[in-house]
Amino acid sequence: MIEAERLRKTFGELVAVDNVSFTARGGEIFGLLGPNGAGKTTTIGCISGLLTPTAGRVRVMGHDVARDGVAARRVLGLTPQDIALYEDLSATENLAFWGGAHGLRGAPLRRRIQVVLELTGLQDRAREPVKRFSGGMKRRLNFACGVIHQPQVLLLDEPAVGVDPQSRVRLLELVRAEAQAGRCVLYTTHYMEEAESLCDRLAIIDRGRLIAQGTLPELRAILGERDVLRLTGVFHPERVREALRASDEMEIVQADGSLLTLSLANASARLPQIFATLAGAGAEIRETTLSQPSLESLFIKLTGKELRE
Amino acid sequence: MTVRFLATCALKDLRRLLRDPAALALWVGIPVLVSVLLFLVFGSRGEATPQGRLFVADEDKSFLSSLLAGAFGQGELGNMLITEKVSQADGRRRMNRGDGSALLIIPKGFGQALLDSRPCQLMLVKNPSQRILPGMIEEIVSGVVEAGFYLQALAGDQLRLFAGGPPAGATTFPDETIIRTSVAFNRLGARLSAYLDPPVIQLKTTVVETQGPARTNFAALYFPSMLFMTVLFAVLGLSGDAWEEHRQGALRRLLGTPGGLGPVLAGKVLACTLVFLLVAAAAIACARWLMKVPVTNPTAAVLWTALSGAVLLLLMVLLQLCATSQRTANIVAFLVVFPLGMLGGGFFPFEFMPEWMARLGRLTPNGWALMQLRALLEGPAPLARVAAGFAALAAAGAALFPLALWRLRRISVI
Repeated sequence: MIEAERLRKTFGELVAVDNVSFTARGGEIFGLLGPNGAGKTTTIGCISGLLTPTAGRVRVMGHDVARDGVAARRVLGLTPQDIALYEDLSATENLAFWGGAHGLRGAPLRRRIQVVLELTGLQDRAREPVKRFSGGMKRRLNFACGVIHQPQVLLLDEPAVGVDPQSRVRLLELVRAEAQAGRCVLYTTHYMEEAESLCDRLAIIDRGRLIAQGTLPELRAILGERDVLRLTGVFHPERVREALRASDEMEIVQADGSLLTLSLANASARLPQIFATLAGAGAEIRETTLSQPSLESLFIKLTGKELRE
Repeated sequence: MTVRFLATCALKDLRRLLRDPAALALWVGIPVLVSVLLFLVFGSRGEATPQGRLFVADEDKSFLSSLLAGAFGQGELGNMLITEKVSQADGRRRMNRGDGSALLIIPKGFGQALLDSRPCQLMLVKNPSQRILPGMIEEIVSGVVEAGFYLQALAGDQLRLFAGGPPAGATTFPDETIIRTSVAFNRLGARLSAYLDPPVIQLKTTVVETQGPARTNFAALYFPSMLFMTVLFAVLGLSGDAWEEHRQGALRRLLGTPGGLGPVLAGKVLACTLVFLLVAAAAIACARWLMKVPVTNPTAAVLWTALSGAVLLLLMVLLQLCATSQRTANIVAFLVVFPLGMLGGGFFPFEFMPEWMARLGRLTPNGWALMQLRALLEGPAPLARVAAGFAALAAAGAALFPLALWRLRRISVI
C-alpha cells in the first residue's frame, strides 16, 4: 500500500508536485494520469526515494520513505520511464544484477530469472547483449527487472511509452497479472485509453496538483449523466457562447475557433436545435462526434485543455 | 546484504569489462609490449651504448687528414661511433636521408695549411634530429683541432719531415731520420712531462654504497615509469564508467534499491583493482624474466601498483563526477591525466627531468606512488616504510571514497 500525504516537491521556484495526497491499495492498479510535465515522475521519485520531498509524507507498506527508506525500498519495485539497463550485458545478466540489488541470489534468483524471461517472452534472446534488442524488447526487460524480486509495491512510470502495439498489449497483461497477484501497482501514463482500460482507480494530475481521483465511474459522475458533443469547424467563440447561453443544462466545456465541446443530457435528440443555434451564430460545422463522458472530457472540463497538449 | 551486493556490483563491472576484451588486452599488453621493445633495444642486461654514424669526406687525403679521420675510431669513441669514409656528395646525400649523426668534410690542403700555420676550415654537418652524438662529435673535432695546433707548434719540423714523404727513390724513411725524430719526440715529452705527468691535484672518488642492488640498466630505470603510465591510461579508460552508467539510467534506478550507491562505487573500484592487479602482475613478470629488471618484492610491488591504481581511479572518478556532463568529464580526465603522467614520471623517469620538475613531479599522487614502487622494486624496503606507504594509500582511498560517493549521488538524480 502507498499512502501519500500532502506531498510537495519544489526545484527552486518550480513547484513540481503540490499538496498531492492519495492512497493506492494492494491488489489494485492505481493510475496517475496527466500530460507530460504534470508531476507524475516527480511523484514516483518521491515515493521510491530517488527524490526527497520538500514537504509531506509518503509511506510504503507502512514504512516512512524519508525515515525508513531502506525498508521502504525493500518492498518496492521500480520500472523507470527511461530504459535503465546495462546495454553491454545480456538479459539474464541484467536480471541477475537487479535481482541481486534487491537481495535475491542463488537458486531462487535463477528460478525467478527463468520465470520473468518466460513472462516477458525473452527466453530465446536471454543470452544476447541488450544493445541488440528492439525497443519493445528493452521495455519488456525494463519491466522484468522491476518485478524480478516480486515486490509488494510496483511503481511503473509510463512503462509502455514508445512500445509497438503488440508489446504494449503484452506489457499491460503483465501489469494486470501483478495486480491480480495482490500487488499494489502505481501506474503513470498520459494515455487516456490505457488508463481507462487498465486502472482500477485513477488520479488526474496537472501542473503538480491532483485535480480529481476515484474509480472510473466516480470520475465520469463528475461530468454527470451527460453526453459529450464534440464539433469541429469554424466558430466565433464569443458569438457561440452568447447563442448557447440561453440553452438550459448545456455546458460549454471548450470553445475556440475550430473546436467546440459541449456537455449536455440527451444530446442526440437536441442535435437539430443545436445545429440551428450555431448556424445562427455564424458557425460552420464540418464534423460532429457524440460520446459518453470520458477521461479526456473530464480532463478538459477540469483544466480547460486537452490531455495531449 | 551490503557485502553481497558489493560482490554483485563488482561481478557486474567485471562482466562489462570482459565485454570489451580489446581494451583489457591493451592495458595488459602495453607493459608487455614495451618490455619486449626494451628487451630488443637494450638486451637483457640493458647495457648497450648508443651508436652513431660519422661520415668523413677526406678531400685532402694527406698524412694529417688521415690522422684526424682515424682519431674517431680510437678507444671508447670507437665503441660509440661507426666512422665511414665517403665522398662529399655521397656524405651529403646520406645525411639528407638522415642516415648519419654527422658529416665531417676535410678540405683539400688541410694538412699543408696546418703545417704552415695557415688558417683552414673544417666543415661539420650535424643531423638535427639527433642531439647527443652530433654534439659529442663537435666537441671531439674541436679537441682534435686544438691538439693539432699544439702538436704543430711543438713538433712542426718533425711533422713536416714526415708529411713530405720518404726521400726521392726510397719507399721508406731512412733509419737515421726515424731515430732523430724519435729522440726529438722523447725530448719533447720529457720537457712537457712536468706539466702533463704528475697531476697537481688528485681527485679521490668515493662511490656511495646504495642499499640493495644498484640500478644496472636503462630498462630498469624506465620500467616503473612505463608501468605507471599504463596504470594511468587504464584509470583514464575506467574512470568514465560512472557517467556511462548514468547515461544508461542505471544509477538513478539503483537509488530505488535497498543497497544504494555505496556498494556500486565500491564494486567498481574492486573490479578495476583486479584489472590493475592483472596489469601489474603481467608487467612485473615480464620485467623480471624478460628484461632482467631486479625485482626485490614482487608481491608487494604488484599489490602496491594495484592499490595505487585504485586510489588514482577514485581521484579521477571524483574529478569526472565534478563535471557537469559526460563530455566535460572526458575533457577533464584528459586534461588531468596527461600532465600528471608527464610530471609524475609516467612518461619519462625523473632522472631525465630538470631538477625542479623532478622535485615537483615527486609530489604528484602518481609521482609519489611511483617512487614508492621503485623503492619496493629496488631493494629490501623496511617493513615500517612499506606499512606506512600502504597506510597512506588506505587513508587517501578512505578520504576520496565518500567524496566520490557524494558526487555520484548528486549526478544520479540529474
